[in-house]
Amino acid sequence: MTAAALETRNLTRRFGGLTAVDDVSMTLASGRLNAIIGPNGAGKTTFFNLVTGELRADAGSVTAHGVALTNLPPHRIVRAGVSRTLQIKSVFGGLTVADNVRAAVMAHEGVMSPFRSILSYGAISRRVADLIAEVGLERYADTKAQTLSYGDVALLELALALANEPKLLLLDEPVCGMGPQETERAVAKIKDVARRTDVVIIEHDMEVVFSIADHILVMAQGAILAEGTPAEISANAKVQETYLGAAEDED
Amino acid sequence: MTDVVFALAINGLVWGLIIALIALGLSIIFGLLDIINVAHGDLFMLGTVGGLVIATATGSFWVAIVLVPIIAFALGLALERFVIRPTIRQAALTIVTTFGLSMMLQEGVRATYGPQPRRMAPPIGGTVPLFGIDYDIYRLFAAIFAALALAAFFVFLNRTKLGTRIRAVRHDPETATALGIPVARVCGITFALGTAMAALGGVIAAPITTVEFRTGVDILPFCFMAVVIGGLGNLQGTVAAAVLLAVMEGLVTSFANPTIARIVSLAIMSGVLLFRPHGLFAGATR
Amino acid sequence: MSAAVNRAALLVLAAALLAVPQFLPLLNAGFWTNVVTEILIWSLLATSVNLLFGYVGLLSFGQALYFGFGMYGAALAVTHWNAGFWGGTLAGIVAATLMAVVAGVLAVRLTWHYFAIITVVFSLIFYFAAMSAKPITGGDDGLSFSAPPVFDAFGLKLTLADTVTQYYVVLGLTALCYGLLWLILRSPLGLRFEAVRENDRRARLIGINVYLCRLTAFILAGAVAGLAGALFAFFGRYASASYMFYHVSGEATVWAIVGGVGTLLGPLFGTALLIVFRELVSTVWENYLFAVGALTVLVVMFAPRGLAGLWSDGLAKLSGRSASQPDPQAGAAEAPR
Repeated sequence: MTAAALETRNLTRRFGGLTAVDDVSMTLASGRLNAIIGPNGAGKTTFFNLVTGELRADAGSVTAHGVALTNLPPHRIVRAGVSRTLQIKSVFGGLTVADNVRAAVMAHEGVMSPFRSILSYGAISRRVADLIAEVGLERYADTKAQTLSYGDVALLELALALANEPKLLLLDEPVCGMGPQETERAVAKIKDVARRTDVVIIEHDMEVVFSIADHILVMAQGAILAEGTPAEISANAKVQETYLGAAEDED
Repeated sequence: MTDVVFALAINGLVWGLIIALIALGLSIIFGLLDIINVAHGDLFMLGTVGGLVIATATGSFWVAIVLVPIIAFALGLALERFVIRPTIRQAALTIVTTFGLSMMLQEGVRATYGPQPRRMAPPIGGTVPLFGIDYDIYRLFAAIFAALALAAFFVFLNRTKLGTRIRAVRHDPETATALGIPVARVCGITFALGTAMAALGGVIAAPITTVEFRTGVDILPFCFMAVVIGGLGNLQGTVAAAVLLAVMEGLVTSFANPTIARIVSLAIMSGVLLFRPHGLFAGATR
Repeated sequence: MSAAVNRAALLVLAAALLAVPQFLPLLNAGFWTNVVTEILIWSLLATSVNLLFGYVGLLSFGQALYFGFGMYGAALAVTHWNAGFWGGTLAGIVAATLMAVVAGVLAVRLTWHYFAIITVVFSLIFYFAAMSAKPITGGDDGLSFSAPPVFDAFGLKLTLADTVTQYYVVLGLTALCYGLLWLILRSPLGLRFEAVRENDRRARLIGINVYLCRLTAFILAGAVAGLAGALFAFFGRYASASYMFYHVSGEATVWAIVGGVGTLLGPLFGTALLIVFRELVSTVWENYLFAVGALTVLVVMFAPRGLAGLWSDGLAKLSGRSASQPDPQAGAAEAPR
């Protein structure tokens, strides 16, 4: 692979007087699991929102695998192969697990016939079943999503994100709010997915980050503070001082 | 001709100040409780009817102008407690709830007070020469009284403890809760305050409009125009927009069909909603 | 089990509707047949509210605008172009649909309360315009016309003057409309609608063009309201600007909510309940709207899923499962502010 999984040039976004993302240029190589860490308010989620088009950039550009994404509408960016999960897990609560996934697969396939029944698409139904099996929610296929446990909702959200066969998957705090067992299950799943898709995660759980990331990028006050391998980051004095130290008083 | 234009402009100003008072009530309710109160016009109507009934019963308009807002405040507290609060969880449906409330208020008044429109004699008769025309003293009084009520409201909001609490909840209900502000009670008081302001506008307006169960229907769109054009949540903007719109409609009426004036106002309102959601008077930046 | 019960209930409903002209005249010649005709027509307006709120999560308070365009489309086509019944109905639908395209392009940029306000504002603009354009619209007094025959060939002439013929024509068109909507709502497009209603942010993040989706629903709702308006114009043989006022929109919204949004037939039952109530009570109690207002508040308070919600909860209880389904508006209610 030649093009980087995700590349930004001078990406900037201001909210009033606050510059949430400040002239960020980064190149996240393909084929490894990238993590972005940083204290609250460092601009990580804003950065994701800029990449997925949910916020418009004031300046700068975004490219994923060589495809320019800057200021495209969010649904076009999804169709270009960039998927994302949210910090507060977000699915279609009133729909069944199967319909959740079906909606995502149909959106990806561009199916929107107004007169055919949704159940008459054989290939799509098979793909829906595969995705549900992949995240291990077969038992709940006909259950409404809003009745699932938090960990299962996170898995369902992952299935939705995988429905468009993403080339780049952005995970915003994937294990936030999970118990130890759920975390373990989610981490295994992320590792598994990362074998075939480029993954960028934002995560506060340092244990998780240092166990799965190949490359870590540290953000603070909207800018990149440091980047490198987990070993380099944990040895970085600047990071220790401004972030890892600060993280302890946070809770 | 210029006399007529001038008189209509002054009429517009008088109405604008009264509407500003009502619209301000609507605006604080929207800003704090995030509800579209379709019944707000009917609370104004209750004020006109209540004003007429009390003034007739006691023989004094001045008793009515004191009593009606107090009664309305109590009614507002009750409505918030027994209608708004139990339905606020269905946040998307508040417009339906208040529409139901509006039906109840209108039909309630029609059943008790009767369907026929009445007029109320102004408590102060006579005219006063004003820049070459003879102008009703009562209308001038109404304008000044409304302006004083508006000023009093802003002083209350900015200078008292309760006013500060209302502003705090408006700004950030979660932090306000964390600071120990009783948010539910502040919401109730705000709704009651908005109700009292609509009713006070009703008493003031009673002698210069017809008094019947339907008057709220006409006044409601105007109040919404003021709130939206002034900028949702921008209280000073609401007042400015109400006055500007009323004067504009008054002026347009002098040479064109009043309906045209109303259509123009509504078109401005849609433009503001679509392209300047923070109102005409907000800066261009968000 | 509940699916089977629903299917049986649907058959009973269809049979009852087909039999209406045979039985109701026994009670009061023709009167109740006309009431049911009216219910069918108005239920379409409630359905157009439902399409928006129940399926894409946008509460419109201005559907009367498209109803009015349907009315005037039909009335003007008949009076000025000598259109027949079918031409007039089509003219009404087309007029309403075009209006919905123009209004929708702007309105669906907004959500939440702002969408409700803009829909009212648009309907008010045209209400005032229609009121003042008396030469064309007849304003408040309206525009009367005589209804052309529905069918006139091969020696067979069907006219709306016959209450029973009129009933079956309206029933046929209403049923056709519900049938089409049923197809649409179980199609991939319908699933998109529901995804947008449940969570518009997530819908965007799976690649749905939320704006286009909402616009599609808006136009569809406009067409359905237009059909209702055209049929109502033929039913009353007149069109009036007063039907474009926001109270008409409000009533349709109430019917939809009372019946239960997010279900195809809920609004039909809501409309039926409230119109039958009106017919029974308004003659003896002038202020019956007070009760309608109270009922509206009570439904929002205690049964926000309406009659349809009570029905499915009841079925679930009967079949022994717990009726723990949260209300369908949860998603809509959490729309971004």
